[in-house]
Amino acid sequence: MYYKDKSYIAGLADGIKSVAIGLKTTMRELFVKKITQQYPENRKELVMFDRFRGCLTMPHNEKNEHKCVGCGLCQNACPNDSITVTSEMVEEDGKKKKVLVRHEYNLGSCMFCNLCVLACPHNAITFDQSFENAVFDRSKLILQLNNPGSKVAEKPKPQLTPEMQAKIAAAKAAKAAKAAKETGTEGAEKSDDTPATKPARQYSPEMLAKIEAAKARKAAKEAAAKAATEQPATEQPKDVKPEETK
Amino acid sequence: MDSYNIMFVVLAGIIVASSVLTVVTRSIMRAATYLFFALLGTAGMYFLLGYTFLGAVQTMVYAGGIIVLYVFAILLTRGTKDRISENTRSKIALSAVLSLVGFGLVGFILFTANLRHEVLTAPDENVMTMTRLGEHLLSTDNGGYLLPFEAVSLLLLACIVAGVMIARKR
Amino acid sequence: MFNFSIVTDWLHTLLLSFLPEWATVLTESVLVAVVIISLAAIFAMVLIYMERKVCAFFQCRLGPNRVGKWGLLQLFADVFKMLQKEIIKMRQTDRFLHDLAPFFVITASMITIACLPWNRGAQILDFNIGVFFFLAVSSVSVVGILLAGWGSNSKYPLIGAMRSGAQIISYEISIGLTMLTVICLTGTMQISEIVEQQYVEGWNIFRGHLPMLVAFLIYMIAGNAECNRGPFDLPESESELTAGYHTEYSGMHFGYFYLAEYMNLFISAGLATTVFLGGWAPLHIVGLDGFNQVMDYIPGAVWFVGKALFVVFLFMWERWTLPRLRIDHILTLEWKYLMPISMLNLVVMALVVAFGLHF
Repeated sequence: MYYKDKSYIAGLADGIKSVAIGLKTTMRELFVKKITQQYPENRKELVMFDRFRGCLTMPHNEKNEHKCVGCGLCQNACPNDSITVTSEMVEEDGKKKKVLVRHEYNLGSCMFCNLCVLACPHNAITFDQSFENAVFDRSKLILQLNNPGSKVAEKPKPQLTPEMQAKIAAAKAAKAAKAAKETGTEGAEKSDDTPATKPARQYSPEMLAKIEAAKARKAAKEAAAKAATEQPATEQPKDVKPEETK
Repeated sequence: MDSYNIMFVVLAGIIVASSVLTVVTRSIMRAATYLFFALLGTAGMYFLLGYTFLGAVQTMVYAGGIIVLYVFAILLTRGTKDRISENTRSKIALSAVLSLVGFGLVGFILFTANLRHEVLTAPDENVMTMTRLGEHLLSTDNGGYLLPFEAVSLLLLACIVAGVMIARKR
Repeated sequence: MFNFSIVTDWLHTLLLSFLPEWATVLTESVLVAVVIISLAAIFAMVLIYMERKVCAFFQCRLGPNRVGKWGLLQLFADVFKMLQKEIIKMRQTDRFLHDLAPFFVITASMITIACLPWNRGAQILDFNIGVFFFLAVSSVSVVGILLAGWGSNSKYPLIGAMRSGAQIISYEISIGLTMLTVICLTGTMQISEIVEQQYVEGWNIFRGHLPMLVAFLIYMIAGNAECNRGPFDLPESESELTAGYHTEYSGMHFGYFYLAEYMNLFISAGLATTVFLGGWAPLHIVGLDGFNQVMDYIPGAVWFVGKALFVVFLFMWERWTLPRLRIDHILTLEWKYLMPISMLNLVVMALVVAFGLHF
């Protein structure tokens, strides 16, 4: 009510205006449809909002297959040790492969931080919208997420399209450039400017190929330049290092 | 015996009892409360006489104003542990003299004015209407009260100016 | 319009036929007291229910709807809970004053509710100083609040009581000035005459047009402050003072404060109805005689209660819109804004009346 930066009359007019806006807002709210959910009655039709985190689940498709490869990243990511992943090594076609045995999740100690879902590289786990999670025994809160008898969904073998071939060629070029650089710098600290680390999803394959090629060219150029200019600079630490070790 | 007499006795009892308690009690806050009852009883007496304006003024000024002022002053200045100061000999003597003089005065008036013989009757409902009162207050005729009214307003203005002088930021 | 004094006169003569005069008056007083107390309790309960529902609707909620149809029995459940609760006796406090304080507040409300004009002839106290008497008696409740703060022997009630006292005393000035504005137009202070005048000449808020509208708005602000409600419920601001002056009260002693708050709300609304919106006088539109006659068939009590509940709704609208003000802002609002404006408004009203510019 007390405006130091305004005159008496201007402050008064401003106050009246803001009060009127507030009154208008609440009066509009009076006639809005009420958002209250009357829970036990509307249990049938109650739908929780998408971002609600109820319970961790592992979706299975109709062939009882899940996407989990048993890597254990979710277990590492969990701050509360709510997840225990048990996996075993299986030999298949002469290749050793990790297979999930049991994905154990403790709902009782979960704090629904979503870190495990973010950590999963295969989008194998997600939170559902269930909320009636109360049980009478604490041991019932420990859930096994993978269905009994389920297995990992096989990924279809990638077909080599022309775009992909271009990509591979670009990657090869990049690798060559990197190798050139590494030989030039003679094992300086591992460089971060390796191209093609994060292919963004929204690019079309053609664009991607172009970008990769451009990046590869750039990287090669840079590496060459670096090798030329940094030769004396990189030699110095190399000279110092042995002294330290002595 | 009519209802006015009964009411008079009740109000008189309230006034006397709370006046005595005001003086006798040891806690200053309770004294203020009993004084409040005494003033309300007086206001009730005015209402009984049909003089509603004075009754309302009594309620507003004394009960709503003065007592609130007292209570505020007590709250702002005293702690709960504070008690009324001890009686010294000279204090007791002085109060005794004052009480005797007051009692003598009231007794003198009571016995000389022949009030005993007056019968308390129900007075007129509207002894003094608000309109007549207002006209008297602002008239310059014989019996008009404009000059005292203005004098009092001047006094109040002086009080406000003094208050502003004390409270202003230097 | 039906004149309620027929009923009261009949009752008076009936009682006089077999009782002496003093006993008749005594019986009538007791009857009137019972009527006042039950009216106060009923309206307080109606208002508490209304407050909870209106508040909920303003906040996009549904409000109580579990106990009884639409939650209508919720209030009775609350009242019985309140009645059962223990009245706590604290050590180190002035028990006498602590127990006495709620009765001051509730008595002031009870006497002021007697001044309201429920219908033609249905008015309990009708002095020729009506409005002034109303203001005088309502100032008694401040003493009760201050005693409650002191009698609790606790920091929060004491600070809450001081703030509440300062606030009520301040806003009484605005209310007094708006009442003066009204009296300036009506020329009388007697509540029954004010309403009778509005029955004949139209409601004051239309008669007095602009200055009366300003007075009504100022009254809407100051009336809310007088009830310690709305953006002015600072003596009870939970985050700073727990529950203000009634922190240490429990059971029905707290119930009295609670009851008094809602009774004061109804009384504030009732006074606004009486002086601005014509009391029990029905809505008359000049030129529409048929409409006016139909309006006259609706009983005056319905008009009065309906209009009072409408004003109560306005108070609640105000309360659930604005956030709580700070104590210095409250006093600034009164002393630097409302009081000068209402004084100016009084002068404008005097000019309007002097030049006969009203309807």
